Amino acid sequence: MSTMAATSAIERELASVAGNSWVSQGSSELVEINGIRPAWTVSPGSAEEVAGILRLAQERDLVVATAGGFTKQQVGGIPERVDILLQTERLNHVEHYDPGDLTIGVGAGIRFAEMQGKLKEHQQWIPFDAPNLSAATVGGLLATASFGPLKSGFGGLRDFCIGVQFVTADGKIAKGGGRVVKNVAGYDLMKLMIGSYGSLAVITRANFKVFPRPRQTRTFVCSFPSLQEALAFRDSMLKSPLTPICLEIASPQAPEYLCDPPTPRDPDEYAPARPVAPPSTDWHVVLRAAGSDNVLGRYRRELGDQVSRELEGGAEEQYWSWVSHFEYSILERHRNALVIYTHVSIQNTGAAIQALERVAPDYNFIPAMLGRAASGNLVMGLIPLAVGPPAAMEYANCASAFRALLPAGSSAIVRHCPKEAKGHFDVWGSTPSDLTMMRAVKQAMDPRKILNRGRFIV
Amino acid sequence: MDSSVLRLLKKIAGPDAVLDRPEDLMLYEYDAGVDKSRPGAVVFPQNTEQVSRVLRLAHEKKVPVVPRGAGTGLSGGAIASKEAIVLSLSRMNRILEIDIPNQRAVVQPGVVNLELSNATAPLGFYYAPDPSSQKACTIGGNVAENSGGPHTLALGVTVNHVTGLEVVLPDGRITEFGGKAQDSCGLDLAGFFVGSEGTLGIATKITVRLTRLPESVATLLAIFDTVQDAANTVVAITQSGITPAALEMLEGWLLQAIEAAVHAGYPLDSAAVLLIELEGMKEAVEEQAEAVRLACMNQKAREVRRAKSEQERQLLWLGRKTAFGAIGRISSSYYTQDGVIPRTKIPATLAEIARIGQKYDLKIANVFHAGDGNLHPLILFDGRDPQKTADSRLAAKEIMSYCLSMGGSITGEHGVGLEKMNLMPLMFSDDDLQVMMRLRNAFNPESILNPQKMLPEAHMCREVTAPLPKAKVEPVPELHL
Repeated sequence: MSTMAATSAIERELASVAGNSWVSQGSSELVEINGIRPAWTVSPGSAEEVAGILRLAQERDLVVATAGGFTKQQVGGIPERVDILLQTERLNHVEHYDPGDLTIGVGAGIRFAEMQGKLKEHQQWIPFDAPNLSAATVGGLLATASFGPLKSGFGGLRDFCIGVQFVTADGKIAKGGGRVVKNVAGYDLMKLMIGSYGSLAVITRANFKVFPRPRQTRTFVCSFPSLQEALAFRDSMLKSPLTPICLEIASPQAPEYLCDPPTPRDPDEYAPARPVAPPSTDWHVVLRAAGSDNVLGRYRRELGDQVSRELEGGAEEQYWSWVSHFEYSILERHRNALVIYTHVSIQNTGAAIQALERVAPDYNFIPAMLGRAASGNLVMGLIPLAVGPPAAMEYANCASAFRALLPAGSSAIVRHCPKEAKGHFDVWGSTPSDLTMMRAVKQAMDPRKILNRGRFIV
Repeated sequence: MDSSVLRLLKKIAGPDAVLDRPEDLMLYEYDAGVDKSRPGAVVFPQNTEQVSRVLRLAHEKKVPVVPRGAGTGLSGGAIASKEAIVLSLSRMNRILEIDIPNQRAVVQPGVVNLELSNATAPLGFYYAPDPSSQKACTIGGNVAENSGGPHTLALGVTVNHVTGLEVVLPDGRITEFGGKAQDSCGLDLAGFFVGSEGTLGIATKITVRLTRLPESVATLLAIFDTVQDAANTVVAITQSGITPAALEMLEGWLLQAIEAAVHAGYPLDSAAVLLIELEGMKEAVEEQAEAVRLACMNQKAREVRRAKSEQERQLLWLGRKTAFGAIGRISSSYYTQDGVIPRTKIPATLAEIARIGQKYDLKIANVFHAGDGNLHPLILFDGRDPQKTADSRLAAKEIMSYCLSMGGSITGEHGVGLEKMNLMPLMFSDDDLQVMMRLRNAFNPESILNPQKMLPEAHMCREVTAPLPKAKVEPVPELHL
C-alpha cells in the first residue's frame, strides 16, 4: 500500500468513527505544537468515539495530542510528531448540576467560563481563576494542573475535582471517583489525571464540588521597600487570624504587566519633555478578603497604614484578572520571554525570588514575578533585553543556573520559551518525586506511548 | 509461618519485635470491622530500613505482607491471612519535625492522629483531619484510608493535607513522592498514594499540612421533633451560602444511649439533633452562627442551643465521637456502614434505611456527617445469632445499593478493604477496575503487599495472567546488623 493510500485509509477509518464532517486532514493554519503540524484533526462527539480513535491510533502507532481551548499547547517538549489532533470541543455539555448538592458534572471540552456562568445563576462558583478561562476547557485545565491566585485560599483543582472519566490509550472508557463530595472507593484517579498533561489518557468528563460564591470581596495592596519586609509581612499574615482568599507577592517589575498593554509608540516621535516615571522599586503583598462589612472592617483595622491602595467592584475584578493573566500579558508584549513556574515550600519563596533576581541579568533578561505567597506557586517572567537579547542557548543556561540556585525539593517548570531553545534543555526539570514510578505509571496506562509522545516528563 | 522467615524477621527487627505465638497473634486477627483472620506473624520495624528489609525478604520468599497502624480501621484493611506477615508500624511513632513557618509537620506513620494536634496546638496550629477514632488511629493508617472526620466538611480529607511521603515499595526500594512544597513537577504520586489502602507501598514518613487554629469557634446543637426536619435543615444550611466546619446528625433514640454512656447533655426526647460547628474569624463566626440558628428555626427546630464554654463544646463532641462505643452498651454487635449520597437525598435515604431495618427486623442507628452526605447507619444485631448476622450483611448491602442508585458511593472514609471489595463492581465497571488493577500492578506487581484487598478477586486473576509491565527496580544497599 502506498503512503498516500495508507493516509487516506486512516482518514476513512477516523471518519468511520467520528463522522466525515468531524475529520480533516492537517489542521487549521494556526494550529501547530511547537512547530509541529498535526496530520489529521478529529473532533469526537462522545467518549465511545474517543475510544474508537485511540484504538485505531494504538493499532497503527499513531501519536495523539489532545486539545481543548489551545491555550497551553506550547507548554512542554517538542513532540516527536503529532498524527492525530484530538479536539474535545464537542464534549462540551453540562451533564448534571445540582445546586442543592453543590456538585456539577461536565464534558471535558466545555469552556471553564461557561461552566462558571451556570454556577453563577445560583450564587455558586468553583473558586478557581487560572488565566484564559473563557477559552480554556475543563479537560485542559485539569490536564495541566492550572491554577490562579485563588489557590492561596481555596486550594487547586485537585481539591475540587471529585470524579473523572477518561479513555485509556488502548480505548477503555474508565472512571475514578464519583458524584459525591466524599468518596474513597478505589484509587484516586483524579489525582493521577490532574497534571498528567494528556500523557496517561484522554479526559472526557469531570465532576466538581462547588461552593457558595462570596457576596462581596475587597482587595488591599500593601507596599514594601524590600523583599525581606514583604516576606516578613507575609509571615505575619500567615500567623494572624485573618483568612484572605488571595495572598499574592509581586516584584517591583510585575505591575508593568498588571494593566492593559501600552499603546504602541510611534518610533519617530521625539518628545523629550514627556515625563517619565522613575521605575518602582516597591514589592507588593496583595490580600483579597471576602465577607460582610464587619469582616472587611476588621481587615482594614488590622492592616492599618500598611495598605497603600484598596480596591473594590469593577476595579478589583479587573486587577485580579490581570494577576491571573500575568504570564500571558508578558508573552503578549514579549513573545520571546522565558516564563517559569516555580513551586517551593512557603519559606523558600524568598530564596526562589532571590535566585530569579540574581540569574536574570546574567543572561540579559529582566525579571518580573508574582505568585501565591501562602502556597509557594510563583509565576516568573524573564523578559529579554531589547538590546542584546539572549541567544537560544542562553535560555537553557539561564534555566539551569536558576534551577541550580533553588533549594532542594523545589520544581521549576519552563512554561514558555522560544521553541528554538527547547532542543537545548529539559523544560520540565527535576522533580522531588520518584521519576521511576512515574514512568511505571505511564507504562501501565500507555505502554505504546501514543499519547503526547515527547511532550511530558514521562 | 516458615521458621526461616521468622528467624530472618527477628534478625531484621530484633527478637522482641516479632510475634508468632498463637496467644499473641490473637490480638492481631481483627480490626474495628467485622472480618477476622489470624496472621502468620507480626513484625514491628523501628525504622524505614527495617521496613525495607522486611519487604525485601517478603518479596524474595513470596510471603504476603499486610501493613497495620492502630487497627481501628472499619473495612478489614489490616486483616491478614495465616500465610501473611502483619507489618505493624506502631513503633514508628515519632513526630520527626514540626515546621511552623512552612505550616508542615513530618511524622512517622505510627504517630497517633490526635497527638500531632496536641503537639502543635501550643504553637497555634493543628492537623485538620479528625476521624472519630483520632485518639487511637495513626496518621499512617489515615493515609492508607484517606480518612475523613467531622471537620473535613470545610477543610477536606487526608489527601488535602498530605504533601509528601517517603514510601517503601513492595520490593523494598525506598522512594519519595512530593515533599514540603504544595506542588511539584510531574505526576501527583503523593495524591495518588493516599487512599490506596496499603496496596501500593508502605508510607514510612509523612509530610502533612498544619492548619492555623481558628480564632473563634461556635458549636450549636439544634434539636428536632422529626428526622425529616433535621434532614431538611442540612439542605437548607448548605444552600444558605454557609459552609460549616462540621455538620453532624444523630438520631433520637441513639441520644439516649450516648447520654447513658457519657452524659454529653443531649436531649432525651427528641427525634434527631444536628451538631453544627462554625469556625474562623470571630466576626464571621458570629454572623454565620446567627444565620444557621435562623435556618434551623425556619425548618421547625424545637430549640437551638449554643455551647457556652469550651468544656460544653468538648462534651457535645465527646458524645458524637463516642457514639459507636455507646452502642456497645445496648447491642452485642453492630455493623457500621459508610455510604455516601448527594446531600439533597438525605431525607429519602433515611426513610429507605428505616424501611430496610423493618424488613429484616434489625435496629439501625443513624449517626453521620450530614454536611457531606456521608452516612454511618449502624446495624445492631446479636453476633451469636447466625441468622441475624447474615441478615445484617444483607441489610447493609441493600443500603449500599440504595446509596449507589442515588448517585452515591459505597465508602466515604472507611475504605473498601476486605469488607466492601465485592461491592466494587456495583460502583465500577470491568474497565474501571482493570485500569485500577494495572496501576496497582505498576507498584505491586506480585500482590505481595496487602493482597486481596480493595480490588475484587475475579479481576485480579484475569489481569495477573496478562503480561505485566514491571517497574525498574533499583537495588537497596545491604545493611549491616
